This record gives sequence, C-alpha cells and structure tokens, in this order.
Amino acid sequence: MKNIFAAILLGASLVATGAAAQEQGGRLKTVLDRGSLLCSGHNGSFLGFAEVDDQGKWKGLDIELCHALAAGLFGTSEGHLEIVPISWAQRWPALQSGDIDVVIKVSGWTQSRDTELNLQFSRPYFIGAFQAMTKTELGVKSIAELDGGTICVAAGTSTELAAATYLQSKSIKVELLTFENGDELRNAYYDGRCDAYIEWAPSLAAARLDAPDGAEAHVILPDVIDLEAEGIVVPEGDPKWLDVQNWMLSSLWFAEANGITSENVDEIRANPPSATIEKFLGVTPGYGARLGLSDDWAYNMIKEVGNFAEIYDRSLGDSSPYGLPRGINALYSNGGVFYPLIVD
Amino acid sequence: MSVSKSVSHDGVPISIFGAIRKKYFATPTDIVVSSILAVLVLWLLANVIDWAFVKAVFGAGRRDDCLAAEGACWSVIASRWRIVLFGLYPFEEQWRSGVACLIMVIVAALSCVPYFWNGKRLLGLWLSGFAVFYVLMRGGFLGLTPVFEQNWGGLALTLFIFAAVCILGMPMAIVFALLRRSELPWISRTMGLIIDTIRSLPLLTIMFTFAIVSPFVLPDWAVGDKLYRVIVGYAIFFACYQAEIIRGGIQGLPAGQEEAAKALGMGYWHRIGYIVLPQAFRNALPPTINQIVITFKETSLVTIIGFFDVMASGRAASGTAEWSFAHVEVYCFVALIFFVFVFSLSRYGAYLERRLGVGRR
Repeated sequence: MKNIFAAILLGASLVATGAAAQEQGGRLKTVLDRGSLLCSGHNGSFLGFAEVDDQGKWKGLDIELCHALAAGLFGTSEGHLEIVPISWAQRWPALQSGDIDVVIKVSGWTQSRDTELNLQFSRPYFIGAFQAMTKTELGVKSIAELDGGTICVAAGTSTELAAATYLQSKSIKVELLTFENGDELRNAYYDGRCDAYIEWAPSLAAARLDAPDGAEAHVILPDVIDLEAEGIVVPEGDPKWLDVQNWMLSSLWFAEANGITSENVDEIRANPPSATIEKFLGVTPGYGARLGLSDDWAYNMIKEVGNFAEIYDRSLGDSSPYGLPRGINALYSNGGVFYPLIVD
Repeated sequence: MSVSKSVSHDGVPISIFGAIRKKYFATPTDIVVSSILAVLVLWLLANVIDWAFVKAVFGAGRRDDCLAAEGACWSVIASRWRIVLFGLYPFEEQWRSGVACLIMVIVAALSCVPYFWNGKRLLGLWLSGFAVFYVLMRGGFLGLTPVFEQNWGGLALTLFIFAAVCILGMPMAIVFALLRRSELPWISRTMGLIIDTIRSLPLLTIMFTFAIVSPFVLPDWAVGDKLYRVIVGYAIFFACYQAEIIRGGIQGLPAGQEEAAKALGMGYWHRIGYIVLPQAFRNALPPTINQIVITFKETSLVTIIGFFDVMASGRAASGTAEWSFAHVEVYCFVALIFFVFVFSLSRYGAYLERRLGVGRR
C-alpha cells in the first residue's frame, strides 16, 4: 500500500517537472511573455558582485549583467528586472523550479555541476584567480621571492590545495599556516603572523581595503596560483536561452573591442564606421532576429550598462572602492583571456 | 531580590551596606570570591563602555574616522540603518514598511490588554491589523505602488513571518492536540505519528522542502509565493510542538473536570471551549511563551532560503566595500533588535503568569 502511494507521488512529481522543463518554447519565451526577467540576487552580499547600496538597490558585477540581460530582452531593465534574493544552496533548485530564470552569481564551472546537476554554463565572464597579498614594505614582486617565509591560507578549502600544489611545483619553500575562519585568517595576516595571504582575488581586494594600516601598505602579487571560471548558468536542454546568454556576453566584449561605450553609442549608431557595427547596433537587420530578440537589443544593452570594461570599472575596477586591476579578465588585446565572437 | 527588603533574624530591617556585607562578604572565602568577581565584572564593563561609547565613532558617513578609531563604529548604523530595518523595500516607500511594523507592534501590545482577551475581539484585532499591514506592505491599490513579497525585507519581514506563523499555527496546534487526544485510536495514533515525524525533522529541512521542493510536486494553482509556502511549513512545525505543549496542559487537568462537565450534559465543543482549553492554556502558559520566543528567534533561519529578514539585511548592510570592516557593530545592532522584542515578550509572559496565578492555584 505504501509503495503504491509512493509510486503515485513520484509519478505526479515527474509529470510536473517534465511539464516545467518543456515550457513550450523554452525559458526565453516564458521570460518574454512574462515581461520581466527574474535574476539571481543574494541573501546578504558578496563584495563586488552583489551588494546593496544605501538606497537598498542592488549593485555589483553580477547585478550589472542582470541589467544588461534585461535591457537586451526588453529594451530597458527599468520595470523589467526583478532581482530575487537567493542563497548559495538554493540557486540550483530555484533555477530548475522557475523561481529564477538565470543564475548570475559567481558560479564556477565544475564538472559535477555541468553533468550531474543538469545545468548548462555559458562561456565564462569572469576568471577568479587565487592570488597572494603581501605587505608593500617587504618589497616583494612575486611569490617566488617569498621563499623561506610564511603564508596564511584558509583550512580545508580548494585554496589550500591549490596553494600547496603551486608552491610544490615551483619548489618554493614556504610554511603554510591554516585558519578555519575567514576573519581569523585576515587578522592573522594583519597582525603579521605571516608574510603573505592567499585568497580569491576579489576577496583579497576587499581585505586590502579594510587593512587597519591602510590599503597602500599592502600589495596583491600578480602571480596566478589557480583559476576558477565563473559562468552564467541556465537549465540544461534550452539552447535558445543559452544562446542569449552567450551573445549577451559577446556583445559586451564586442562593444569594448570596437570602442563603443554607453556615451558614444548614439553617435556611432548614427554614423557607423563599418557594416559589421551597423549590423551589431541594429541599423541593418539580423543581429537580434536570429536570437528571437529585437534587432537593436545590443544597442539597448550598451546604452544602459555600457561595454564590459565600463561594467568592470564600476563594480571592481578603478571607479569602485576595490580598484582591482583587470588582469586576466581583460580582452585578449590587453593581455586577458576574453574575446568577442564573430558578428556576421 | 531587592536588597532593601532584607531583614535581620530578629525582624529589624538592616541597612543596605549591612545586607551587602552579609550576603557577599560574610566569610574570608566569600570576600575573596566576591572581590575577584567584582573586579572581573568591572573590568569587562569598563572595556565594553570604552569600546561602545568612549572611543566609538557616532554620526553618519564617517568611515575614515572609524578606520582610525579604536572603538566601535556606530557610524555604519547611522548610515545603513534603513537597510537593516527595511531590507530591499523600495527606498521612497520605506515609510510604509515602517508604519506597517509599528502597526504590528501596536496590535501585539493591544492584545496584551485584558479588554481584548476574548476570542472575537482578539480575532478582530489581529485580522484587521494583518489586513492593514498587508495593504501597506503589498500596495497595489489606494494609490500605493505595488511592492512584491520578494522585495519585502528587514524587520517588517521578520515580524510578518513571526506573526503569520503564530496566528496560523496556534489554531492548528489546538486541532492537532484535540485529534491527538481523540478517543478513536486510528485518529490519535495517526496524529501522533504525524506530530512525532515532523518534530523529528530539522526546521531547516522543512523550510527547504516547502520553499524549493514543493513547487515540483504541487499543481501550479497551489504553489503561491515562496513566502507563503515557507510560512505554511513553519506554521505546521510550530503547531506540532505547540500541540504537545497544549496536550501537556490538558493532561495536567484532573480527569474529574471533564467528567463533571459531561455529567452536566455539556456537549463536546462546550466542554473543550469552556472547561478544558482555558485551563489547559493556563497550565501551559510558561512553555507556550517559551515556544513563541523560540519561534521569533528562529525566523532568522529563512535567510538560508533567500529571504531578506533582519539577519540577512544586517549582513547586506555591512557587506559593501565601504563598511565591510564594521560587521561586529551591525551584528550588535541586530542583536539589540532581537533583544528588545524577545525581552518584552518574556516580560509579558511573566506578567501573564503572575496575573493568572500559574504555579499557585
């Protein structure tokens, strides 16, 4: 009897999820019909990526991408974007159940997420590097020069493993001090218990700001210990919705590569320098229609949030309190790993 | 324990100094222990006052002074208190959230007045209070711009969840307790099984199930907003605990009470409504207040399923480039908010116990 009941319940839930997954026309149609995008926020904040300003409005790199996506879909994000507060643990089920349409929440592209969790990642939009921060007065230029010193790192994390592997492979002899708690780790470094401190670069940038002896007393070394590629996440089996994410990111880089900014986009659109840019900004048709969007979608996006350099600059770069150099996150032409796809 | 009431053995009142000497400095051991503890307490107190007041930085937007100062940085509260209290509620509309909180507090305070202690008045008071709260928060008519539930936050959300859970959970708890006491074994056993099952699950699991798993199983029309799903789940959890408390109250009554009522020819609902429940509630008052206090504090668990309650908005308030060094001060502020509510709840509970003479009659 119990088994029959369980079977019925399971069957019902399978039917329900099957129906939810199909959603005739995919997530893109659902979002366009609804007239608003449900994007992932945060339950609290994640420095530089999702923060709440004094007015209670979201800001940060991930939030800017939500704005870009909504502007691309609807012409403007004003009134068409809802940032849904979501915890880390909740992001995948919330995406599958339709509580949110897309996860833009510094989510690393890992094999188990990609395969077992039925998620699909867009091309990465941010490479989170593990780097080391040290005191300026030491005059150290690279991790190799820390040989014989002490480095603090969080215990039992992927950071610890990456740091140990890196130091071993470069045969740098350094004592690793581990700490269970993030605040403890930071304070140990500030108190001078170690010469350097290894963390995820954006977190290092935030820690540098909080340094009791001022940000200038500390420097983040350029050596990259390990990388995590952060992508936009959509449910698996919805190619159209994934296309929109990829081309949204590509458009932001394309605009940057071609010097199109939120300020000069109107000028360039009125007087396009090439046929490709003419197409990109929707003067000639095609760029949006292929994705099921309006042809001027990229123009709307750039008009509202600007190109990727502007977004980065506002959230993490020089116009933000963090002043995190773009490094590997720059375009390929500036020494980074990012590049736009071909517009034809 | 008021010192001034102390009397010596022969009944003559003694001075305050005398009382202190008698209580804390009677023997050499007493003197040593008391002095050490007194020094310790004074030292702690001095440090706390030094940190919180003397060396602290007050006034909005003084981040640089804060970084230089050794004491607390209350400037973060002055600059970001609206985030803590109202979360993501639209800035221009936050007065609505504030008024809604105030109404909730007034309703709670009014229901402590003996005039409202009857079913109809209490129900009317809470329903109208809830309606005003909802209209203010949600908007959408009377010229108020609509604000959807996912943008509710801070103290207003915490109060809403807490009040809704208690109001939904209390009647459910009574029903559960009565079913549990049913004379038909298949009803009482089933109810017992349900209560024990839910009580053996962690609250977090139940919240997760209702918030995240239930939309997969429920038909579309029954899904509703995540907020209401969580409230229903939490209310069921609350009801199961409270049902056992009420059952304890009922079983503490002499069996003769109900039998006498039966002998007088009273029907079931009259027996329950006039004889059993009023006495059961009086018996169960201390654990009930306890349960309500726990419920208030555990509302902060909802932050894990992505709600912007007072805890989450506190973290958001310090979670920005300018203020991330000042998280301790924000936690202190949130703790103060919880303290004010929980302490007044437990003081009210103590007043009720005195008034109803729990433990004496």
